[in-house]
Amino acid sequence: MSRRFVRKGAGLRLTLAEDERDLLVHLPDELRTLYRSDPDDPAVQRLFPRAYLDPTEDEAEAVWRALQHPELLRQRIDAIDRLAMVLADGTVDRKGRVHVDLAEDDVPALLRVLNDARLTLGTRLEVTDETDLAAIDPDDPRAPAFIAYGWLTYLEGELVEVLLGELPG
Amino acid sequence: MTWPSGVVSVPPMTSMPVEIAEPAVIEPDLVDPELDEAISTDKPWIVIVWNDPVNLMSYVVYVLQELFGYSREKATRLMLAVHHEGKAVVADGTREQCEGHVGRLHGRGLWATMEHPA
Repeated sequence: MSRRFVRKGAGLRLTLAEDERDLLVHLPDELRTLYRSDPDDPAVQRLFPRAYLDPTEDEAEAVWRALQHPELLRQRIDAIDRLAMVLADGTVDRKGRVHVDLAEDDVPALLRVLNDARLTLGTRLEVTDETDLAAIDPDDPRAPAFIAYGWLTYLEGELVEVLLGELPG
Repeated sequence: MTWPSGVVSVPPMTSMPVEIAEPAVIEPDLVDPELDEAISTDKPWIVIVWNDPVNLMSYVVYVLQELFGYSREKATRLMLAVHHEGKAVVADGTREQCEGHVGRLHGRGLWATMEHPA
C-alpha cells in the first residue's frame, strides 16, 4: 500500500507535506505557459512529437497533426485545470499534512500532469539513462530542479504502483 | 526559454528515493508471434515505442496495459524490449488505426511513431 495514495471510493486520497503541495501547485501554470510557447522548444517537441519519421510521409504527418494536436492539447489543458482545482480544495490537518481528494476522473489527470512535468524537466535538464540524481552537486544551479524532478518521479512511481496493482497481473 | 522558477524553488522531501530503476526479471523475448504473423500476411502499419530516459518502466507497463488491454507479462516484455533494444513494436493495424494509437500514446507521454514495413 502506498504511503501517499489511499483508495477513497472510486477516487484516491493523496497526502502531501505543505512544501510538496506548493511544488505541485506551480505545475499547471508552468505547463500552460509551455503549451503556449515556441513549437520548436525541445520540451514542446517531446510532448508533441511527430507520428511519422519518414520524410516522404510529411503530408500524412501534417494531416495527422492538424487532426490530433488540438485534441492532445485539449486533454493536457483539461488535466492541468483539473489538478489546479483539486489542489485548491485540499485540506490541511493539525499536523500540517495536506489531504487532496481525487475523484475517479482526476486520477488520470494527475498522472498525466506528473508525467508531462517530468518529461519537460527531464528535457530541460538533459536527463539520460546514466543520470544519477544522488550524484548531483548541491552547488549546481540546477540542483533544485533535479530535486523537483526526483520528487515528481517518486510521486508518479507511487501512483503507478497503486494503479498497476488494480490491473490484472 | 528556461524552466520557470516556480518548480525549481522548493527543495522538499527527506523521503525521496534516489534510485528510479525497478526490478524486473523477464526474459527479453523480443519477437511477438502475433505481431509477426500479422506482418507477414497483411503488411499492416506498425506502431513503435522508442526508449527515453524519463518515462518510468512501471509507467510504460501501465500505459500498455491500460491502452491496449495487454497482460502484465506482455506489457512487461514490450517495455523491456523498448528499454534494452531502444524500441519495440507495440501494435499494428491500418494506417488510421495506427494514427489513433500514436495519438493516444503521445497523450500519455510515450515517444511513439508509426511506419509501414517494406
